[in-house]
Amino acid sequence: MLVERIAGGDAEALGDLYDRYGRVAFGMLYRMLPGPEAAEEVAQDAFHAVWRRASSYRPERGAVRTWLLAICRNAAIDWRRTRGKRSEREVSIDTAADLIADGRVDERVVDALREERVRKAVSELPAEQRDVLSLAFWGGYSQTEIAARTNTPLGTVKSRVRLGMTKLRERLVDER
Amino acid sequence: MSIDRTRHPLEDLPAYALGALEEAERAFVEAHLETCDECARELAQFEQALYEAAAVGAARADPPRDLRARIVLRHRGTRARRESDWGGARARAWLARPVPLALPLALAVFLVVSFVAVGTARREADAYARALAGVADGRVVALAAQKDAPPDARGALVIPRSGDPYVVLELSSPPTGKAWEAWVIKGQHPTAAGVSGSGGLFTIVLSAPVGAGDVVAVTLEPAAGSRAPTSDPILAGGT
Ligand SMILES: [Zn+2]
Repeated sequence: MLVERIAGGDAEALGDLYDRYGRVAFGMLYRMLPGPEAAEEVAQDAFHAVWRRASSYRPERGAVRTWLLAICRNAAIDWRRTRGKRSEREVSIDTAADLIADGRVDERVVDALREERVRKAVSELPAEQRDVLSLAFWGGYSQTEIAARTNTPLGTVKSRVRLGMTKLRERLVDER
Repeated sequence: MSIDRTRHPLEDLPAYALGALEEAERAFVEAHLETCDECARELAQFEQALYEAAAVGAARADPPRDLRARIVLRHRGTRARRESDWGGARARAWLARPVPLALPLALAVFLVVSFVAVGTARREADAYARALAGVADGRVVALAAQKDAPPDARGALVIPRSGDPYVVLELSSPPTGKAWEAWVIKGQHPTAAGVSGSGGLFTIVLSAPVGAGDVVAVTLEPAAGSRAPTSDPILAGGT
């Protein structure tokens, strides 16, 4: 298995992982960070984190792609907090505005059928649920911060997060 | 779903997947996930859905052509590090190395300090080791069991790159009317940093900042906590 090979110290396996998911990882970082240089730097950090943490990956707790993307996202948020210039610490509300953007996705990242399904699921969420998910995910804001920024009671933000995530899961995850 | 909502943080799992919890809530959920497969399964489904949406939401950007080569070359010829193997010989070697420190009488202890890189191999994959292996980015410092520590008492200080430091503890439940209390000791001055009446695997988020050279210790105190330690430390370690 790929991650086991990485855990065993096989650098070529890290390259194989990159071949499979490097493009989607880079695309995600690109959206979260101020420019291509930062995305590049954080991508390297994230793959290094994968290298160090490969032996703690547990397949029963999620797919490799999900695990890798979560590592990338955390690395991006860390970068913004620690290395970003003040102006770069926060993603603009615009960047965080849409959970998914218009325009087709690269087929090398998500196949067309799957993409349709995701677009439909997201478009069926009420706008206020989509917004909090997007602010949290792409913006890196906590529920408390979202409540303060959008002038919404914390309880409301929390229930939007819960409802939105639950609907996404119902529509995108097959087995329960 | 028949999971008891009062015992499992089901309500917080969606926000945990999103990374939108406050640090104390996050640490609590994380510790719970280490011991609960049901919640871990629930979480995995939220994450699957979320990251699928994220893949569609990602920017369409071509990575630099040489990025792959740089990633591979950086790691070729090195081996994945496996330093936080708590059961490993290396950890034991560290734990065997006492570091004397001058502290107030109640805290005059021999400390053993170990720096453990995060991430890891765990041949002895128990919940405690997994909790620490799950630390995303930051530093883990072992707290050494002291003379009066209950058997099998274990603890570690986690200093995340962002957010508040916390201790991950595996201790028996405190006796009735008592609680475990964490301290941050700067020079000679202990500052109360959090109380917990829990037993088993649990965390205490430290309410006092931890700086370089500080010592973190855990003592048994009256349930409400004390302003200064009234007993010898059970666990202690330095940054
Ligand atoms: Zn649970």
